[in-house]
Amino acid sequence: MGAKVKTIERRGSTLTERIYLIEIFKGMARTLRHLVRNLRDNKKLLVRHYPEVQPEIPARWRGRHRLTKHDDGTVKCVACFMCQTNCPAECISITAKERLDDKAEKMPASFNINLLECIYCGYCVEACPLDAIRMDTGIFSVTDNNRQSFIIGLEELLTTPGAYSEEDYKKGGA
Amino acid sequence: MADKIKLFVNGEEVEVEAGKNLIDAVGAVGIEIPHLCYHPALGADGNCRMCLVGIEDGRPPLVPACKTPAQEGMKVLLDAEHIKKIQHDVMEFELINHPIDCPVCDQAGECKLQDYYMSCDQKPSRMTVPQVTKNKKMDFGGGVIHDQERCVVCGRCVRFLRQITKTGELGIINRTDDARVNIFPGRPIDNRYGINVVDLCPVGAMTSSDFRFKQRVWFLKKASGVCHGCSKGCSITIDHNKEKNKDDIIYRFRPRFNGQVNGYFICDEGRLSYKSENENRLTAAFIGKVEREISDVLTAAKKELEMSKKAVFLISPDASLEQMVAVKALAAKLGATLSGYSDGYIKKGDGDDYLIQDDKAANRQGLLLLGIDTTKESFEKAVSEADLFVNFASDLSRSYEQDALTKLLTGKKTIVCATHESAFNGQATITIPVRSYSEYSGSVINCDNILQRFEKAVTKNNELLDICEVAAEFGCPLQTPAEAYAELQQVIGMLKEYQPATIPAEGLNLNDSEAANVTA
Repeated sequence: MGAKVKTIERRGSTLTERIYLIEIFKGMARTLRHLVRNLRDNKKLLVRHYPEVQPEIPARWRGRHRLTKHDDGTVKCVACFMCQTNCPAECISITAKERLDDKAEKMPASFNINLLECIYCGYCVEACPLDAIRMDTGIFSVTDNNRQSFIIGLEELLTTPGAYSEEDYKKGGA
Repeated sequence: MADKIKLFVNGEEVEVEAGKNLIDAVGAVGIEIPHLCYHPALGADGNCRMCLVGIEDGRPPLVPACKTPAQEGMKVLLDAEHIKKIQHDVMEFELINHPIDCPVCDQAGECKLQDYYMSCDQKPSRMTVPQVTKNKKMDFGGGVIHDQERCVVCGRCVRFLRQITKTGELGIINRTDDARVNIFPGRPIDNRYGINVVDLCPVGAMTSSDFRFKQRVWFLKKASGVCHGCSKGCSITIDHNKEKNKDDIIYRFRPRFNGQVNGYFICDEGRLSYKSENENRLTAAFIGKVEREISDVLTAAKKELEMSKKAVFLISPDASLEQMVAVKALAAKLGATLSGYSDGYIKKGDGDDYLIQDDKAANRQGLLLLGIDTTKESFEKAVSEADLFVNFASDLSRSYEQDALTKLLTGKKTIVCATHESAFNGQATITIPVRSYSEYSGSVINCDNILQRFEKAVTKNNELLDICEVAAEFGCPLQTPAEAYAELQQVIGMLKEYQPATIPAEGLNLNDSEAANVTA
């Protein structure tokens, strides 16, 4: 999708424009007009009422991570460390353990992502051989007031749902 | 030096050693012939067919390299189209029933199937029928876990247990795609070298239950070390890693080939001895039972040394030669008696005729070479006459019961430099934590008089002092490692030709010309 290009005509060379004062009053009149209009009715205001009104995030946008699950609710991740290996910011740290439910041999015992170190490049998603890690939660704002809470663990990664349908996510090129 | 012969590989002349098979001969000059079942310690089996090479003008024109002795003037073909086709076909054949579970396989990163897939195959599977499924995660005992699906039935493990340990726990049962490696019912792997099959296995069929899932191998840093588990001093590779925000720890020991010492293998006990390097380590310095800054403790220890009229130093038989000469020089300067008493390190009857030795001290030959007294009588006599006892990392609990030790040291000040926590440390006047053998570089002499150099592997977040540094703090004339090494060169004539970095990896055999050179 290419950006819309609007060519703006260069102004400022006519006599009235070079006198300045006339243009200044014209500008102030326009400002006044906007003020009056917005005071009477602010529906047409070109400002989003954030956070009451949230922006629309496209499916392929890289938000905060989550770990996906099998249909029966068990964790998909097999702790192969591909994401940790591929991570340029070294923000992922995994420990593996034996898996006993016959889905695979191995599963993560802990899976920590330090969101303060993460650069949201999406390399972990690309490296994952099992589509077990995704950045499709649509969470773009990660805020808190202490450093420790930015290290999110297995629990939080698994419980966060994806924000899009499987179809929309796949359409994004994943 | 063995005789040299000349042969041609892909039309280029190379000079190789005579009397070897083609894989070893051209492998020594850096040309790798792919192979799975052949291992130099186990001999040629010729079952994998991966090493088939062409011999130009030869009869037959196509031979397994593992079973073909290198001969003068031989024209070996490796990059011909038909040889590449064979390698590709063999790889395709091996991979028909391979589960390709590299993400969960511990071997990934050091797997021959992965390597040869990249160098010889690189094609998707053409199979349309379902794969043959076999047993996974079979506990073979002895710390070995087997995955039959990953197995390429090369038989290295079977041959190792038959030829080397002569215990023969494993066998290959059934034929064709049903062939699988298994133990005999109720007879698990039960010998002291069993985990070597994990290293031998070219694929991920044999994994170590100890190392299983602990770390991916590509994260591990490798350092050449020497096992300090017994006086054999097997060459090992120390695989360690410092994870982000954590401390540098060792994940495993692997045998490092050394023809003079251990060949390709190490014992299981030595392999698992890495654990003691990670656990139960002494990290803080104490005066009495109070934890203090290391600088304060060293000052206090120096004061004790100055005040004492007669001191006894005890050096560990595990210490490196550099540490021994440093402590010896310190003892000479301070007029202290130096002992290397360590009878407790000898476990009578524990050794065997292969690698494991009775003597669990890594450098007893070093003590003898430097003329350090090791008898019990002289040690106890010296202690009874002394007012200060300084222990340089010797584990006295191996030689003494706690009560006997307390009795021996009653009324004496004790300074203990220790690597590990122990009940004895608590009784000491002053306790100084020192580095263990994976954290310093040095040299040791094994029971066969072979001097080996090992490098510093682990760098802890909280770096401790080395015994050499402690001795230097106490006023040892040998202040730097270079000075200690120079002193060592005076004692061991053979070292004069070498610098620490140039000592060969397989070590120096001091038996060769040493008797005449030893001056101490």
